[in-house]
Amino acid sequence: MLCEECGKNQAEVMMTTVVGGQSATRHLCRECLKKYQAGDLQAVLAAILSTMAGKLHLADDEEEIALKCPQCGETYAEFQKTGMLGCAGCYQAFRKELTPLITKVQGRTQHAGRRPPVSEEEQARQTRMEELRSLMEAAVQEENFEEAARLRDELRAMTPAREEKKA
Amino acid sequence: MSDIVVSSRVRLARNYDDLPFRSKITREQSEECVQRTLDALRPLPQAYSFYPLRDMEANEKRALMEAHLISPDLMEHEDTGAVLIRADEKIAVMMNEEDHLRIQGFSLGDNLTEAAENAFSIDDVLQEQLSFAFDHQLGYLTACPTNAGTGLRASVMLHLPLLTQAKQMGKMNQLAAKLGLTLRGIYGEGSEAQGNLYQLSNQVTLGKTEKEIIDAVAATARQMAEMENVYRGKALDKDEIGFQDQLYRSYGLLTHARRMPVKEFMNHWSNLRLGASMKVLPVTTALCDELLTLAQPAHIQNAAKTILNEKDQDAFRSALIRGKLNGGT
Repeated sequence: MLCEECGKNQAEVMMTTVVGGQSATRHLCRECLKKYQAGDLQAVLAAILSTMAGKLHLADDEEEIALKCPQCGETYAEFQKTGMLGCAGCYQAFRKELTPLITKVQGRTQHAGRRPPVSEEEQARQTRMEELRSLMEAAVQEENFEEAARLRDELRAMTPAREEKKA
Repeated sequence: MSDIVVSSRVRLARNYDDLPFRSKITREQSEECVQRTLDALRPLPQAYSFYPLRDMEANEKRALMEAHLISPDLMEHEDTGAVLIRADEKIAVMMNEEDHLRIQGFSLGDNLTEAAENAFSIDDVLQEQLSFAFDHQLGYLTACPTNAGTGLRASVMLHLPLLTQAKQMGKMNQLAAKLGLTLRGIYGEGSEAQGNLYQLSNQVTLGKTEKEIIDAVAATARQMAEMENVYRGKALDKDEIGFQDQLYRSYGLLTHARRMPVKEFMNHWSNLRLGASMKVLPVTTALCDELLTLAQPAHIQNAAKTILNEKDQDAFRSALIRGKLNGGT
């Protein structure tokens, strides 16, 4: 069997890496093994990610080809090869595919800790959205569905793409 | 004995939300990344030096790497890579590394909290003015998803000569892995850890707060330091003169040899620091830690102010070490 890293030399060793209780095995030649032993953790993690990405999505290869970030043009296949995303937008474009990978590597998927400070503009937007939500609920209570639909559309227009799923 | 932890470092990975990550960034956008970072940090009161890597001599860059101020990855991207370093070398902001920014905070000894405060002070100033890629669920977004969330890597450098000698490092590795941490040699390649120096750091960056991550690394480091101390005590009890002999032999060579190759230096350095830490040898751990960086190849070349061949480097190194240890003789 050929080395899974360089695809050139004969694989002589099997490297198993355990991250967060999940293991990934790769067959490597001596040259490529040296690279890992040199302690390039990032390379190891990228390799695990791409191996897992490959395994998880072998079945729906055709769907993968079409998968492309609209913002930077990175394809999911490129990510599988390098373990690197092209831009922040890739997280949204590949969210469905990335979530199981991130869960495997990190163990969790909900951020805790520091956050960027909220700007006045953002604060105003959030306050306005809260207002619209309560107005919409009130409209539904009053069975004023036309008004509720109008408020819903206004809310949608204010929701940034990244938050859409939650709203 | 807390001096088993040589130094502490915290790095934060951050990306601007309107610029593509490294694989898709254009040259103009990388320059924009540097420019806006410098503009935002300009009002800082302390003195900083800015180094665009493409304008630097190979040796100067290597010296920054030896001092752990820049990463090997940044070295490989010298066309766009840059670093801003505070005069006291407690803060270094790498630009156009794997992420737009790698904000690093440093501290001597066992002090991850201080290292983190140094890094956060830069993060705070930047976030007030600029917008980082952030997702409510995934936290700070990074080029590689393995860094997403806090984007924080907390690491400590540990000096573990007796645990290494007693072949306990496999066990230490397992202990680290169980807690979601990694342990690896800092100097040297493969399984060989020159100078018996190891780096302990977190792997998981998402779902835990910065404090939780830092506390876990610090607690495990202390646990390893305690175990190292147990083995130090055992070695003394078993054969005190033999133990002192081992340390003094290294001290003798470091203070008298006329050529000192770096690899040999690392072996004796380990004994020197062990002797300093246990108050066996007449040196301080602070001096040992200073020597560790000063005796590395690029630092030797820089200090010599000329290109030396290997033999002359080794001679220069031994003279520098003798000077530091003998107070100038």
